[in-house]
Amino acid sequence: MKQLRSNQRLGTTGLICLHVAVLGAGFLAPYDPAEQNRAFTLQPPTRIRFVDGQGQFHALPFVMGVDGRARSLRFFVAGAKYRWLGGPSSRIHLFGVDEPGHIFLLGTDEFGRDQFSRMLCGGQISLLTGWLAALLALGLGLGLGLVAGFFGGWRDALIMRGAELFLALPWLYLLLAIRAFLPLSLSPWTTTLAIALLTGIIGWTRPARLVRGVVMSAKERDYVYAARGFGASSWHLIARHCLPETYGVLFTQMALLVPQFILAEVALSFLGLGIGDPAVSWGTLLAPLRQLAIVASAWWMLLPALFVAATAWCFSLLDNEGERNGAVP
Amino acid sequence: MKGNVTVRFRNTFPIAVGLSIAACAHAAAPDLLIATGEAGRYGGSLVVLERAEPKTLNPVTALDVPSRDVIRRMTADLITINRRTLQTQPSLAKSWTVSHDGREYVLELRQGLRFSDGHPMDAGDVVFTFQVDLDEAVHSPQRDLLIVGGQPIQVEEIDATHVRFRLTQPYAAAERIFDSLAILPRHLLEKTWREGKLGQAWGLNTPPAEIAGLGPFRLKEYRPGERIVLERNPYYWQMDQKGQRLPYLDHIEFRFVPSEDAQVARFIGGEADILSRVGARNLELLRREAGAKDDQLEDLGPGLEYNFLFFNLGSVDAQRYPEIAARQAWFRDVRFRQAISAAVDRDAIVRVVYGGRATALWGHVTPANRLWLNTALPHPARSVEHARRLLQIAGFRWDSEGALLDASAKPVQFSILVSSSSPERAQMATLLQDDLNKLGIHTQVVPLEFRALLDRVLNSRQYEACILGLVSGDADPNPEMNVWLSSGGTHLWNPNQNQPMTPWEAEIDSLMRQQMITLNHAHRKQLYDRVQRIAADNLPLICLASPNILVAARRGLGNFQPAVVDHYTLWNVEQLYWREPRQGGVQ
Amino acid sequence: MLRGYLLRRMLHGFFLLAGISILSFVLLELAPGDFLGEAKLNPQLSPQTLLALRERYGLDQTLPQKYIQWLGSVADGSFGISFAYNLPVSQLLWPRARKTLQLTLTSLALSWLLALPLGVWSAAGRDGWLDRTVRIVTSILIALPDLVLACVLFFVAVQTGRFRSGGPALPVTILVLAALPMLVRHVRSAVLDVSSQPYVRVARSHGIAGARLWFRWLLPAAANPLCSLFGLSVAGLISSSLLVETVVGWPGLGPLFLEAIAARDFYLVIGPVILSATFLIAGVLVGDLLLYAVDPRIRIRQ
Repeated sequence: MKQLRSNQRLGTTGLICLHVAVLGAGFLAPYDPAEQNRAFTLQPPTRIRFVDGQGQFHALPFVMGVDGRARSLRFFVAGAKYRWLGGPSSRIHLFGVDEPGHIFLLGTDEFGRDQFSRMLCGGQISLLTGWLAALLALGLGLGLGLVAGFFGGWRDALIMRGAELFLALPWLYLLLAIRAFLPLSLSPWTTTLAIALLTGIIGWTRPARLVRGVVMSAKERDYVYAARGFGASSWHLIARHCLPETYGVLFTQMALLVPQFILAEVALSFLGLGIGDPAVSWGTLLAPLRQLAIVASAWWMLLPALFVAATAWCFSLLDNEGERNGAVP
Repeated sequence: MKGNVTVRFRNTFPIAVGLSIAACAHAAAPDLLIATGEAGRYGGSLVVLERAEPKTLNPVTALDVPSRDVIRRMTADLITINRRTLQTQPSLAKSWTVSHDGREYVLELRQGLRFSDGHPMDAGDVVFTFQVDLDEAVHSPQRDLLIVGGQPIQVEEIDATHVRFRLTQPYAAAERIFDSLAILPRHLLEKTWREGKLGQAWGLNTPPAEIAGLGPFRLKEYRPGERIVLERNPYYWQMDQKGQRLPYLDHIEFRFVPSEDAQVARFIGGEADILSRVGARNLELLRREAGAKDDQLEDLGPGLEYNFLFFNLGSVDAQRYPEIAARQAWFRDVRFRQAISAAVDRDAIVRVVYGGRATALWGHVTPANRLWLNTALPHPARSVEHARRLLQIAGFRWDSEGALLDASAKPVQFSILVSSSSPERAQMATLLQDDLNKLGIHTQVVPLEFRALLDRVLNSRQYEACILGLVSGDADPNPEMNVWLSSGGTHLWNPNQNQPMTPWEAEIDSLMRQQMITLNHAHRKQLYDRVQRIAADNLPLICLASPNILVAARRGLGNFQPAVVDHYTLWNVEQLYWREPRQGGVQ
Repeated sequence: MLRGYLLRRMLHGFFLLAGISILSFVLLELAPGDFLGEAKLNPQLSPQTLLALRERYGLDQTLPQKYIQWLGSVADGSFGISFAYNLPVSQLLWPRARKTLQLTLTSLALSWLLALPLGVWSAAGRDGWLDRTVRIVTSILIALPDLVLACVLFFVAVQTGRFRSGGPALPVTILVLAALPMLVRHVRSAVLDVSSQPYVRVARSHGIAGARLWFRWLLPAAANPLCSLFGLSVAGLISSSLLVETVVGWPGLGPLFLEAIAARDFYLVIGPVILSATFLIAGVLVGDLLLYAVDPRIRIRQ
């Protein structure tokens, strides 16, 4: 596990790039994600050209404005204000074009908002939801799985039956209820937290089951019996001998759960239970695809879905389980 | 009776013709109404898509839209409102007289009518129908429509073809009450009613033989979750100009498809013949698709729906919801509401949300309602400067970042509730948010599931602002009484008041009550114009836009005359016909 | 002994269902709004009528009262009355459950029938072109958001006019595409796990090779995780197609359930929940029984 296989290296690199991009979303995005350009609704991606009308090659790419004039891509331009991780604010963006030109790398949505900027900024909420929910699910799963696997008996039965109960409940309904109960004045970040919390709590069953399996076989090892013979307490045995065995499972589960919860947030937004405007998440970005007419006439709205898929794919590359069987591409 | 004024209607001539033809014919022949559409040919079936399946076939208890849609094709009323002209016209009642004080109506029924099972119909069925609708034990939603001046309408049979209705006070447009009130078969339902089981009668699993009505179609088959099939009623009481008995169609099939996109897909694929309402984007899609572009795709202009933003103006428990109570100080200032109305970009709403297929609204009466619209109301263009001036006068100011502060330096922020099942209103909220940002007001859009939203607005009152839409079933103001009366349950911004909280609400109360008992249309219009003016000045509802009614039907469908009032496409279903024979039915 | 095991599991299941029903009632009660919420918005209904309707539907009863009433209806088989339809819930459920099962059973069969050979071949030709293709395609399909995939497929279906949008072909395709990638991965991984065992080398030295080796010897040995997985597939027979049915317009339990939730039709929501929970419990049981049947090690251990 110390040596990273090539696929894991690829996955890790991809994820690092992704997280850096998302954290620096304000800087990398040319526009504010909530900024509406009502004259430019549902525009396809702006064409970046290198060769102009006269056949001249320009080293610096440019875009054609509505007035027919070319505008070069410029770097480190002043634009809309944003904050770095909620802290210091700045106005400098990595790239942009002068008004009244526009550079919509992934096109615009029905309000004329730049999809590229929304995709980068939306990643903040989506990734946060994914990580938080996964951590919560893993935490709960680890705790309950350890107890169930090590002590067995009635604790095990209770926890496993509890897991089945959890799986069977109508969570859709609970989500509707919870969404309705949240106070009106919650900031979008608090709403995100609440949703992450909820989805995380629902997702503890699978990690718990797996941890339980690992612990059950770990506790049968000889050295554990020996330690017990020496009078070691249960908690010591758990912490010292069983817990390390679970690291592999935990890592794999983490790699699987984060994308799962990111996709769960997308599904919630599809059902209308996502974050409200002006906050943006990948879910709200993809929600317009519900409508047939959008898919039919605005193909560029699908591009963020590929980005989300790529993110999920990078996570899956970290999957240890797959590695055992000769590496997953 | 002395002094009665006989009121005549627009369709007198065809009725006279029809009557004389009928009189020349065999004495026992039924009194048929002659329909005014073009004469068609028999045959074929029509596939209509509904968003959900009907929950019951009982005309007395049905509440939901799909149930009423199906039931209306199987039943008939005494007087009906023509959906194109929005005027009343004779239906089962071939004529009627009104006493000059407006309290008594005597209706004359057509002779020789039969229910769809062949059983003859007479005045006894009418009396029975009203008995059942007014019976408190049945709890029919129709009952409230028949209470005028706090007292139920009294119904009396004069003879086999005449019925007298008595009201305790004059009621404007009382004849509109009769629209959609289905006449029930005494011979099938009287026993059930006496046993107290009428509410459970005619559920979805009832065999077709036990259901009968006077509508153009009767029940043939029901497949749960999938479709309901109606067949032609051979005893229907209308005929066309050529003397052919209506309806032309052999069958109507209602199929249940929950999502609009799936409905559009089926229409394109040829599996459906009519789409009752589509969104603007879907209409564009239909115009491009080979399977649909030659069909009758129509934009009928605005309907009676009005979408609006409103604030919580009622009294809120300051202990439980201190923030909402504090913010109400802003909402209750009319200049605040006027500023917001001035800053809203209605053109963007029409363009972005409805693809241009909508009308901007400054009042709740839409341009489709020509009879009642107050055309003198101004339609001020959007002006952020004007909004800022209003806010300044009201004591607000801006800080260095441009955020709006009230007189005590609190930043002006609030949340806007929106239903998660209405993508259009959610989009309106997004546009509004941006518009309000220009004033320095920061808003948060809260999408809620519809029931949860209604609970908050009508029950717990735990909200600040909300975007909703209402549709009138009729152009007449009377059905909307409960929206405008301060004691009304749907007086959304402050329902169920014991006393009107503001003088303008008190004025609207008295105006609405007055117009309800005024019989003269011009006078009523004056009163209602005043109501619209007060609403426009005080803005309890900041009206935004009214979507156009967009419908689709196969090109071969004749007599397709869609209207902007419910039922948009099937209101004249008895006259719809296929111009060319169709191969087989659609499976 | 098997009988004893079965009885014990069924008893467990019964208690589980009871627990689920109580929790569901509590959850439903928590959600704001009730059946008459929309009726309140109708300007033509008076408060008196609304009050009377509330009483008729029993909306003001306490939770324990509602639960006991419901238990009574379970005893006589109706599972409560739907407010909207005024019909027993069981009568509404069975025809639609049949339609849902049509979809899910077909997609279950198809996905397993495709997953087993694909997974085994992929494992057999490890790192070969088939294996690579399978791994890449399944990775992509798993990473794509399901609902987006469904919408795109729907659009493609409309454009090409291939699928009759009312027919079962489209929803089954969507369901299979959603379930297949994970299944293939798991089959492949399970078979590969087994293929590194020493007895496989022995079998090979005996001359057993090719399809016979993989399908006749290795697949059964790899059955352990696959049986649990099959059990989970069975468990999802009712719940997995909910959203697809609504998007496509298939008259199964999906539209009924979602509409009942939106309308707060209390007992009509509980009905499908209990049904789906029953399938879940049955599915897990099926998985365990299959394990018992297929894996001799478990039999011997018992």
